[in-house]
Amino acid sequence: MRAVVKGRIGVFHLQGFLDGNNAPSFLTLEDIRATESLNVDMLLVSLKKVIFFNKNGLDVFVKLLTKVRNLKHIVVGFCDYDHTKFQAINSFYGHDINFSLFKSEKIAELFVATNKNDSKTVLLYNADPSQRSAMAIELFDYGHNPVIAQSLSEFETKKKTTDLYYAIIEDTHLGFFGQKVATRVTGNAVIYTISNFLDAEIAETFNITYHNNSLNVGFRLFIFDAYKVISMNIHALNFFTKLASSAAEYNATICFVGLTFEKTPEIFKNDLEDAGIMFFETMDNILKNKELLQELGGGGGATVKQHRALNKGLINELSHFIDATVSTLNMMTNAQATKNSLNIQTLTIANPADQFASSIGFYGDIDGLIILVFPKAIAKKACELLIGESNVTDEEVLDSLAEFVNIIGGRAKVLLSENKKRLDITLPRTYSDIATLMEIAQTKKGVQVDLSFEGQNFIFFLTR
Amino acid sequence: MITPEEVAFYIQNIPPTPSVVQQALAYAREGDLIKAAKYAQEDPALRLYLKTLLNRPIYGFKNEVSDVSQIFGILGVAATQQTLYHYLLSLLLPKKWELFALTNHQFYDLQASLGKRWETILDHLKIDDKEIHSAIALIPATIIVCEALFASKKKEVEQLRSIKALDYNTILKRLSGYDLFDLAAQIGQMWEMSEKTISLIRSASGVHNELFAEQKVLAQWIHLLLFYQFSQSTYVSAGLNEFIDFQIDFVQDIYDSFCQVVQ
Repeated sequence: MRAVVKGRIGVFHLQGFLDGNNAPSFLTLEDIRATESLNVDMLLVSLKKVIFFNKNGLDVFVKLLTKVRNLKHIVVGFCDYDHTKFQAINSFYGHDINFSLFKSEKIAELFVATNKNDSKTVLLYNADPSQRSAMAIELFDYGHNPVIAQSLSEFETKKKTTDLYYAIIEDTHLGFFGQKVATRVTGNAVIYTISNFLDAEIAETFNITYHNNSLNVGFRLFIFDAYKVISMNIHALNFFTKLASSAAEYNATICFVGLTFEKTPEIFKNDLEDAGIMFFETMDNILKNKELLQELGGGGGATVKQHRALNKGLINELSHFIDATVSTLNMMTNAQATKNSLNIQTLTIANPADQFASSIGFYGDIDGLIILVFPKAIAKKACELLIGESNVTDEEVLDSLAEFVNIIGGRAKVLLSENKKRLDITLPRTYSDIATLMEIAQTKKGVQVDLSFEGQNFIFFLTR
Repeated sequence: MITPEEVAFYIQNIPPTPSVVQQALAYAREGDLIKAAKYAQEDPALRLYLKTLLNRPIYGFKNEVSDVSQIFGILGVAATQQTLYHYLLSLLLPKKWELFALTNHQFYDLQASLGKRWETILDHLKIDDKEIHSAIALIPATIIVCEALFASKKKEVEQLRSIKALDYNTILKRLSGYDLFDLAAQIGQMWEMSEKTISLIRSASGVHNELFAEQKVLAQWIHLLLFYQFSQSTYVSAGLNEFIDFQIDFVQDIYDSFCQVVQ
């Protein structure tokens, strides 16, 4: 069995009965290897469709999860259970639970970085005050707004007004957490929260893959929320200067907010400034200053001056990317897409109204960005297999469009690996309106392929 | 990936019931096991199948049972009918399993244990109806149909499943409008099974809401029995645990009774 990867979370979906006899059969050696090489921030086992489990069955997965956590420093645990199952797990492992428990996948998603700019208000209760605080801090660091109930009675009262909250967090437990630098997105800026004493460990806790992904999909402003930083040493300084150098290639800006130099040598500030890092006292100094935000790149990609040109390597593989797109559409819809025209140009969208777009970056032996622009009806049709219902909201279509473009990225990766080309793909990004896409893409030159599908046109755009 | 035309083509190519089996089934339905055995005796493949099936460990016979009349006598009317359907299903087996890591012997084991456990369940439910008894025989047809339709699409399905937990049944339903249980029911229709049997097969997917009280209870038991079987190590390794969607809420209210009866 392989984990299903959505965003930065991998989930094993088990079904039926789970005990010590059958649990090892769910995981072949290949499955274990594939799991260890997953590029995720969280790995979970869903118990939603498990009607019976015992400790021996869970132990098989706990062993794998622990191994992956030790290897990759990610969050691991179980999700999708009811109160009875939660109590059973607690009784099996007592107070020694060193993995996390999330009542639902929706709750787990609140504790990982996404490409989305969506702060959620959630109601939170845990009888253990230290768990309560840890969850509140993590949620806050990931950009959410936790409403913390201090007592069970307060929780029960607040719980009645479910409409006020995106999620109600109970029967949830954080195991080893805070191993990764918390990340959130505000507008077009990515905010990382760092704290305490920064040393060589920052290189392990900072999610460099996510950072590179964000650069590849067009983010240009990265802010380190450093209010809680006490001090840093030379190793951390080296890490940040290297980060600044790599960001410069994309014309991206790195800022520190709230960092004091009481216990950090003042000379470090000069070194960081020399590397291009900027310092601000408060977050509002950046986020509420629209002009500055635009100048720093947080207003989108329009200010990017340094364009990365199309190169021969990318053009040579164009057919693979188009094949991946057309065959994915064919697989998902049983209908054929046909190519109408192919031109090297900036992205040109004839009718920007009623269109959705999605993009996915890739890097490795070649790097670039695939952008797909669909009329809403085509987007919906393309995602029908994934959604399964005809009455769907725009948000559901956009979520599925992200999955759709992820499959295309995966197929392109497979096709290119046949030519011995190694490729990694970024998190997909979706756009509910073309204006937001154009902020990032309007000045980029690329290959635009106009395709038609069931009488309507859609655009494939490949750029760097 | 899979078009409605491909599904229709598959159904059209289901072989009809061989005349000997048809006759044996007709007599078994009437309760005349002697005449049924006489016809069954004429088909060497059926003879071998019956002998192999009855000597599987789940039946627990100390001595080899080889005579067809003896086999039918041991099985009784309902189980004979069920076994003849099992045999029919074996005619659809692939030469080589590609989608699922199964062997034909493991498939026969699955048929045998489903049949025996279904018998225990019907005893518990105090249901003595040979049509209902036979229904379980066609449930494994879902596995054969799935193998036939998806074997050449394994890579595509793997890619799809790497980003979304979709089972084969759901994929097929969304692409062609038919689910695997509908197709198993169509096979039942071609083999002239009773309407009661066919509708029970259809409802075993656990996704239909408009079921009569008895039909719902039986569908719940079949659905949970399937997942009990698919949770056995052999079938987990074969990939059967992931092939249809387990409707846990559909079976929740019979779970405790199931544990007492089956486990």
